[in-house]
Parts: sequence; C-alpha cells; structure tokens
Amino acid sequence: MGHGKWDDNAYAAAKTFRAAKGIDDFGYTAALRSRPSKEWKADPSLDPKGVVARECRDSPDHADSTPIAVLFDVTGSMGRVPQIMQRKLGKLHGLLQRKGYLADPQLMFGGIGDADSDRVPLQVGQFESDNRMDEQLRTIFLEGNGGGQKSESYELAAYFVARHVVTDAWQKRGRKGYLFLIGDELNKPRLEARHIRRIIGDDVKQDIDPASVYRELSRKWHVYFVLPDQSSYYHDQDIADHWRDLLGQRFLKLDDPGAVCELIAATIGVEERVVDLDQALVDLAEVGSVAESAAVGKALVHVGGTTVATTTAPPRLDGPDDVTLT
Amino acid sequence: MDGHIIVVGLGFGDEGKGAVVDALCHDGPVTSVVRFNGGAQAAHNVVVGDRHHTFSQFGSGTLAGVPTHLSRHVLVEPIALAGESRELAQLGVPDPLRLLTVDADALLTTPIHVAANRAREDARGHARHGSCGKGIGETTWYGLLADRGAAPGDVVEDQVVLGAPGAPPTVGDCAHPAVLRAKLDALARFYEPLIGDGPSVDDLVSLYRDFAGAVRITTGDEVGRLADRGRLVFEGAQGVLLDQWRGFHPHTTWSTVTPDNARDLLGHRPATVVGVTRTYQTRHGAGPFPTEDREVLARFPERHNDTGRYQGAWRAGHLDAVLLRYAIDACGGVDALAVTHLDAHDLQVATRYDAPLPATDLTAFLTHRAPTLVDLPDPVTWLETHLDVPVLVTGAGPDRTDYAVRAPARR
Repeated sequence: MGHGKWDDNAYAAAKTFRAAKGIDDFGYTAALRSRPSKEWKADPSLDPKGVVARECRDSPDHADSTPIAVLFDVTGSMGRVPQIMQRKLGKLHGLLQRKGYLADPQLMFGGIGDADSDRVPLQVGQFESDNRMDEQLRTIFLEGNGGGQKSESYELAAYFVARHVVTDAWQKRGRKGYLFLIGDELNKPRLEARHIRRIIGDDVKQDIDPASVYRELSRKWHVYFVLPDQSSYYHDQDIADHWRDLLGQRFLKLDDPGAVCELIAATIGVEERVVDLDQALVDLAEVGSVAESAAVGKALVHVGGTTVATTTAPPRLDGPDDVTLT
Repeated sequence: MDGHIIVVGLGFGDEGKGAVVDALCHDGPVTSVVRFNGGAQAAHNVVVGDRHHTFSQFGSGTLAGVPTHLSRHVLVEPIALAGESRELAQLGVPDPLRLLTVDADALLTTPIHVAANRAREDARGHARHGSCGKGIGETTWYGLLADRGAAPGDVVEDQVVLGAPGAPPTVGDCAHPAVLRAKLDALARFYEPLIGDGPSVDDLVSLYRDFAGAVRITTGDEVGRLADRGRLVFEGAQGVLLDQWRGFHPHTTWSTVTPDNARDLLGHRPATVVGVTRTYQTRHGAGPFPTEDREVLARFPERHNDTGRYQGAWRAGHLDAVLLRYAIDACGGVDALAVTHLDAHDLQVATRYDAPLPATDLTAFLTHRAPTLVDLPDPVTWLETHLDVPVLVTGAGPDRTDYAVRAPARR
C-alpha cells in the first residue's frame, strides 16, 4: 500500500482497454445487480466486517503521507451522482499532486447506504496512492436502494473512520486527515449497537448519539459533508441545518456533481494554506476545469478563503449519551 | 490487381506512406494491414474529407475499415496505443481496438524505456541523433542485451551496459502477470542509475493486463494465416535512407526499414514492393542532405511536420535521384513507385553528384556534395523513364480523393 505513482495517461489507457474489453467502469455493480438481491454483498476488499484497521502509513517513497477518505452515499436518492463521482474521483490524486497541495496524498474510497434496509450499507477500501484506487472505485457496489426515510447511515461510516482507521499522519505528526462524506440526507437519529455488531463486528452494547461520533472523529480528521445537486434533497433546508449544526462551515453545497474531485482538491489546498480560495479557483481553471471551478467557487464562497481552517470543533456535539473516547 | 503489397518509404520518412496505404485499402479488398517495423514513433497522415488522423501504431488502412496486425518486428507502446484508439473512436471508427491483432513476440516499449531514451538524448546535447524521444532505440537496445549475453560494464552498440539486464518484456507477457512483473522489475532496476525511480511496476502490470484483455494477441504464423485469406498490405515505417543497415550512421533508426522483414513474414509468397517518394526530398532532424535548399523549404510549408523537441528541425530540398537509386538498391529493387505531392510544381531533380557514391563512409561523403540539378516538369514520366519502374499510385494533395491507384502491379 501507498507505493507507486499515479499517472493520468496510464489511467486513461487502462480505462480505454477495459472499455474495449467490455468491462465498464462499474463492473462489480453490473455483475452483482444481475443476481438476486439476497446474494448482494460487498466485495471482500471493501467489507468492513472484522477489519481491525485501515492504515495510512508512510513509506520510503512517501514519507509525509496525508490520509484522504472519500465516502459517498450510494443510495437511490443520489440519482446518478455516484456514477458521476466514481468516474471523476480517479483523477483526484493526480490533481492534488499536480497542484502541489499535498506531497503524499493517500486516498481511500467507500460507499454508504442504509443500515436499516440495505444489503450493503457500508463499504470501505484501503488507502492507496496508485492505480489501485481506480480498481477500488470500480469495485464499490452501487446498491441504489435506501430506506426513503430521508436518513442514511453516515454516522456508521463516521464511526468506522473514527475507530478503525490509523494514520501515521496523526500518530507521528499529530496531523489530521481529511474525510469527505458525500450525500444528500440526514444522519440516522441513533447509531444502533446492533448495526455496529452486524456490519462492523465491534462488540458494542449501547446505541450511540451520532453527534458524539462526529465529535470523536473531528479530533483526528477534518470532516466535510458535500451535498451535490442532481440529488433528491439539494434544496431541503432540514438537510442544510442538520449538517451545519454538526460541521459548521464544513457543510458544502455543490452545483455540479462532476466537480466533486475539484472541490475536494480546492478544499484541501485552502485548508493546507497552500493557496487561498481565489488561487485555488485559478488553479482549477488552469487544469481545464472552468465549469467545475465555477461550481467549486460557489460551493466554497460562503466559507471564504482563510476561515476554512479556523473551525476547530463543530458546535453542539455534546450528546446526552456521549461515549468515552479512547 | 491482386497479390500482397509491401509499401516502403524511399526517403528519410514522411514520403506519404500513410495516404498510399489508405488509397490501396480503399481501392480493393484488403484483409489486413501488417506493420513490419518501427513502433510508436511512426506518424502517417491520412485525410478523408474532414477527418484527419496521424497513424502511429494502428495501420493506415483503419479509416478504410481494414484491420491491423502488429507483427513481431514492431515495438508496441500500449499507453500511446490507447490514446490513438480514443482518437480514432472520436473520428467515428467503432471500437478501434477490435481491429487490432498483435504478435506475442513483439517487444513492449514501456515508460521506463521512454524515460531512458530522453535522458540519453538530453545528455548528448548538441550531438543529438535526432531521436523522436519515444523509447524506440532503447527498446531495441535493451532487447539486444539478453540476446548477446551482455554483462555490466560491457559496451553494446556504443552504449555502456549499466547493470545486469534481463529478458525484454513482450506483448505476450502482458497476459502473464508473474512473468511480466519479473521482467519489469529487472528493467526498472537496470535503468535506475539512469532515470531514478520510474513508474511503479505494479501500475504497469495492472495496465498491461488490461491491454492484454483488450487486444487479440496472436502466436505462430498469423501473417501466413492472414495471407491465405486475402491480400495483405505491409506498411513500412520511416524510410530506407534511415535503415539501421543501409542508412547513414549515426543518423539512422534502429529498425530494418527495407522490405526484408515483410518478405520474411510472407515466407515464399510473392508480393509487389511499392517504393514511396515525394516529388521533392524532406528530412526531419539531423544528418546529411545533399539537395537541401531553403527555398524549397519555404515553398512547401508542412502542416503536420515541424520542429520536434527531440527530433530537431524539418528540412526540405530537391528530389535526389542519386539517393532514390540508392534506396531502391537497398530494397533489393522495387516493383513499382508511389509518387506523392504531385500538386507541387516548378521542381528540380538532382541527377548526379560531383563524385560517384563510394562503398564506405557515405555519411561523410554526402555531407560535402554538390548535386547537378535539372528541371522536373513531369515527375511521373521522368521517374518511370529514368528509374525504369512503373508508377502505381499517384498523390496530388492530402485527401484520399487526391490519390489514384493507376495500373495493375506486376507480381
């Protein structure tokens, strides 16, 4: 893990060859959806059950690794957004490096569903810095269901990242990683212990308040929630209020779901203080993403250039049954 | 007209082989275009109406719907091949990779070779050879090392062997990840002193595996099988004046440009050899050029050729009958000519130099020659008369409609 270099040409070539071979970008999804739903399951490489920890480690090639986890909602309310993102996210690593925002980004991708009603409510990959990211994205199962109760199991994904991800960035350097949750609904009212036991395998006896999960998470991670358009609840005020309460200015609305990769890159560039917002948008326009840079600019405009990095703890996180942090 | 056709360039490349191959494929049923030398450095332009493509690894019959076979003499660069496939798809060729078969023994050109090629050429400074910077020579050289049992410190073809070479990776290896990985590991280790950390071997293995899944890799006598099905057109790359044996060293390409490979692939099947020439002479990059003339260069600006970062300047001069005869001899004779750029007028041709061609050290000899020029009002008649070879294909412009396939060829 974490070795090797990413190369845009190689990525494009691999994609071309796979297309010719008849394997489209979502081969795993296509294969699984042709089978009865009771057989649906996460690919073993993405199954969180029994995983002690996903690791983001330094290596001789990459001595200053920074973890970036991107977990996106794969339920039906997201429409075609997961497909659009799956296509675009493969370019994220190249974009971050090309613009010099981070020396050694390592990326992990995952999918979020609904623990009450989905067969595959959580998928989490490994941290990678080479073409295996592409493989990971193609292996994420786009289940496309969801429960229709305007909530998904984001807090379950947040719990996994808080408890089951270890990073050299934090352990050696005390530096936070980046977590981007991409979705369009609310957290579940409670993170149910039975779901944690069934899906992740931790022996948890007590339900947990989602707010406490995000609080724990925010000690080691910069946490963002991105609400892309073309999803069901883009204009729903409840959704915006809910996430602003949890994450403050790190709740971002994005006009163009095709710009998610650019939004993440710009956000990191600004957070790392490598660039200000204006420069980040110029950078994006330079790499040929003029339309995307406009959408990113709009998403980040109320955040402002330098205030992004100043929010340390999201408000209102002390829940009544706050768990003891380890 | 029937029988197989071998198309070779009689100059320093850029004679118009691509358009000639397209014209031949458009003219009659052709089973396949077979590439028999070179690699991703080829640049063969074909224009059909508003569609233009610079063919590099795909055969120039692709826009006429003819499949391509890359023989074992071709160097294959999958990343560039994928890019070319996307370009062709944009021109409306459905599923271009399905039109391709590749011999398992063809050598792979990897990003490691490309980096090594550029590192060496940069280090040569002003003494550059005029390489295209696409790793072709490096692929060939590395391939030679294992053949010759080279050891660290040996000098092979004027280059010091840096470390312990392994067997060169081939197209066939792409379907066998363990074999491929071992060869790529050896390759990366070998070139590390020259280029440092190259691309990750894991990435390359995964990419080449996808490549192997997307194109049909053939073993055995695929050319023979294709030849028995119908006509083949063999498309040469570069020109015979750049040939590794008969060109003017060191300004040569590491490739057998003459029809020898094509004849070898065909076994004893008969074929018509068509030599391609412009009505004037051109050269891309360094090397001797007796009829070079700035006025000719100024009169015929080139849309698709200019100064390449690694290749050097685009040059032009008068047609050179001395070099044409030399090229035809190098081919062991040709059966017909294809003459392109017949829309150029008021031309001259060099009939002889101030001294006869010597047997050795041609490069030095050609550098100081004064050619005798005569007017060339009708190039087709002049060439048929003075070279005693019929002109089979004529081209008077860039478009397919500017080309004509004239008469039945001799077999």
